[in-house]
Amino acid sequence: MEAMIQGGAVSGDNDLVASEYLTFTLGNEEYAIDILKVQEIRGYEPPTLIANAPPFIKGVINLRGIIVPIVDLRIKFNLGKIEYTPFTVVIILNIAGRVIGAVVDSVSDVLSLSSAQIRPAPDFSGSFDTKYILGLSSIDQRMLIVTDIERLMSSADMELIEAAAE
Amino acid sequence: MSIDMSQFFQVFFEESAEHLAAMESLLLDLDLDSPDIEQLNAIFRAAHSIKGSAGTFGFTDLAETTHILENLLDRIRKHELQLRADMVDAFLEAGDVLRSMLEAHQGHGMVDLQTVEAMTSRLRQLSSDDSGAKVVSPVAAQVSVADPLPSAPGDAPVALPGDSILRVFDIQFVPTDVAASGVGVQNLLTELRSFGELEVLDSPASGTPGAGYWNIRLRTSQVPESFSDQIDFIAESGAWRISEEISSAEDGDEAFGFFQDSPGVPDELQGYGFFEPLPLAGPENLLAEEGDGFGFFAPLPALVGDASGDSDAYGFFEPISSPSSEPAQVVAAVSIEPEEGDGFGFFQLIAPSPSAVMNPLPVPVPVVDKLAPSAKPALSTMKSPSASAATSDSSIRVSVEKVDQLINLVGELVITQAMLLQTSALMQEHAPERLLNGLAQLERNTRDLQESVMAIRMMPISFVFSRFPRVVRDLSSKLGKQVELKTSGETTELDKNLIERIADPLTHLIRNSLDHGIELPEKRQAAGKRPSGTITLRAYHQGGNIVIEVGDDGAGLPRDKILQKARERGLPVSDQMSDQEVFNLIFEAGFSTAEQVTDVSGRGVGMDVVRRNIQSMGGRVEIDSMLGIGTRMTVRLPLTLAILDGMSVAVGDQIYILPLSYVIESLQPKTGDVKTLSNQARVVQVRGEYLPVVVLHEMFRLQSAWTDFTQGIMVVLDADGAKVALFVDALLGQHQVVIKSLEANYRKVPGVSGATIMGDGHVALILDVSAIAGMARTNMQKAG
Repeated sequence: MEAMIQGGAVSGDNDLVASEYLTFTLGNEEYAIDILKVQEIRGYEPPTLIANAPPFIKGVINLRGIIVPIVDLRIKFNLGKIEYTPFTVVIILNIAGRVIGAVVDSVSDVLSLSSAQIRPAPDFSGSFDTKYILGLSSIDQRMLIVTDIERLMSSADMELIEAAAE
Repeated sequence: MSIDMSQFFQVFFEESAEHLAAMESLLLDLDLDSPDIEQLNAIFRAAHSIKGSAGTFGFTDLAETTHILENLLDRIRKHELQLRADMVDAFLEAGDVLRSMLEAHQGHGMVDLQTVEAMTSRLRQLSSDDSGAKVVSPVAAQVSVADPLPSAPGDAPVALPGDSILRVFDIQFVPTDVAASGVGVQNLLTELRSFGELEVLDSPASGTPGAGYWNIRLRTSQVPESFSDQIDFIAESGAWRISEEISSAEDGDEAFGFFQDSPGVPDELQGYGFFEPLPLAGPENLLAEEGDGFGFFAPLPALVGDASGDSDAYGFFEPISSPSSEPAQVVAAVSIEPEEGDGFGFFQLIAPSPSAVMNPLPVPVPVVDKLAPSAKPALSTMKSPSASAATSDSSIRVSVEKVDQLINLVGELVITQAMLLQTSALMQEHAPERLLNGLAQLERNTRDLQESVMAIRMMPISFVFSRFPRVVRDLSSKLGKQVELKTSGETTELDKNLIERIADPLTHLIRNSLDHGIELPEKRQAAGKRPSGTITLRAYHQGGNIVIEVGDDGAGLPRDKILQKARERGLPVSDQMSDQEVFNLIFEAGFSTAEQVTDVSGRGVGMDVVRRNIQSMGGRVEIDSMLGIGTRMTVRLPLTLAILDGMSVAVGDQIYILPLSYVIESLQPKTGDVKTLSNQARVVQVRGEYLPVVVLHEMFRLQSAWTDFTQGIMVVLDADGAKVALFVDALLGQHQVVIKSLEANYRKVPGVSGATIMGDGHVALILDVSAIAGMARTNMQKAG
């Protein structure tokens, strides 16, 4: 398990090479995802409902002519209050050739993290499966949960992709 | 210099398929008794082009089969053999074999080697039948095309200069990487020196990475066959040629004397001009291609005017020699071929009489790009030297994705424009007049733009129609019927996607007409009709639809028989049903009135598939028939798949789109109209019929605005022959909507076939009527 986490975090490079991460908050927790997976960030707009979809799939929106599904990560992980304010943010992700929107409470900043700064996460059980966590990182008293967003979004749990590879 | 040929494969496949199609339609047009020489030539050229390109790309099996075909064609063309019906049949079947080989090369299916073998031997058989004394066995003349210099037939019409005479050969080749890096080339040169005097005209600069281009001249008394093998061994497959320097051959004048002079060629050489009408400016590279491995350009003896432009594409198009220094030699260079006489005759025939029949292929852009600018003029000139150079230049091959992207972008523009218009409408009289004027103009322009972009995808329906003469011909002879196929409106255009998808249903309808509609000749005569039946295929535009009619003057649909059959099958029918309703029964799955099942039709599968296919394209089929007079099937299709005529309905705060082609009627149910079955499933009574009710807000778990059925609307839908009533809150309007895929970024949603973007920028889902009807049925079954 550890070896896998290490491998994922380092992605074959040495410890000094830093990658950039976008951090966002869900409730009181702060997450970091690889910025190269992020296409854009936009405000929340009420999506069109999809019949019989799980509750965390809010629906689909029109993103300049592309139909994009919107996932509310707060509902998926039971974090924070589910409310949609003018400050609610959607991170548009580009994952495995697909465009997916993720609703988060707010976006904080972009950080450079070298793999040395990312510690393996303890193996805990919870709603957020550790297999989607690359590691933890502390920057100025903040604890960031570095997430493998691609793996998360393409997992069968998210029900976003037909016959999702898991 | 090794070239990655695979990038051209797709072009080759497309071209060959087009050549095959052209060949087929020409064959079908042929008049057996007095075949038109132009048509024969065109058929020959099509076969020849396939052979040439197949050889270039290393598809030797294709090339070999085509070669045999070509031999036979050639003999017919030269009146050595009389054209017979069985030959045409053999040609058509050979075309099918070639097509299957092509498909196999593209990775679909397998080639049945036995079929190929049977076909080749049949063609050989035909070719050797009553063959003249001087005919060379096609097998002997046929050596792998990769080897462009099989032993020349001894009786080649052109008298070759005797062996004793010193001949001069220009040899160009691109060595393989291995040969170039090793001593292969040097060995070859040494070997060639043993044949005679060798002069290296052009060689790759030493130190050039990879292989290079060689141009050498050999003065020898040997025949080229004696050293061609060595060159073939060293050269990149097919990337070599040997041409004889004719000016030194004493009897050259005589041999090539039948060529008209070619303007621009130096006077003393006028006898050797290849292409009479070509206004050549200055020295040209004559790439006479017959079987020499450059067959890619086979039908267009490329006159490479600006040779330097080519060098990046194919090494062997580099100047054979510097044009300025040796113009005469270059122009006169003529490749030696196995079928020398044929080759020249061929050119002579083509040049003065460009065949209009020759398929006006779109210029294959990927290739031309590489060869620009020189190959292109040659291409167009060859196709129709007289006038229409512009026609071949005026079409380009573009990948469908690019066009689709363009259509998407324009769709976006239309939505943005609609949003702007809506916003300005909200401003009412506060909007400045100039803004409103501008917006009105924008609306017009975007609409025009959308129409023009949509037109790019449009193709004439002749692409589909052209296959039917063959279907009718084969089938009518199989069934012993005499049938004439009349088509009209071939130029009617519709979306490329539709073209591909309409072919199968139409084929089915035609087979059906042939098998069930048209009677046997005796029967027809007994009924006082002409013994030969007619099938009419018509296409035309009507409103926003394209209408395709398949009509026959056959027996017509027997109403009584259909009703009787339907009763036997337990279908709910009554004698009061209208003709239309009765005829529609033949679309029921498993329904057939044919007394016996043949391999053509009668199994009762098919018509239901036809209707389903057509409905999935957003179209519908209608039948008109009169007993003894004939039947007409009318297929109505939307012009394009990208746009759908839809009805927007509201359920709670959501808007859904219903494809209009499924909607029969809508009504507001009265109290008591809706009843329940075992207190679960609901049915609604519509004019004496009980239809299952699908309550959309229940199915999609939405909040309806209404609590009572009488407040909402029932939309009666016809889904694959089964009627259902869909309960919605309200009807909003009718739109043309652009269909977007939901699966591109999400997954398939049950009951939803796609999505669209409404005028206000919001997404609306398009309902999948068949799936919804299916859900209704399962509900009923649960209840019942």
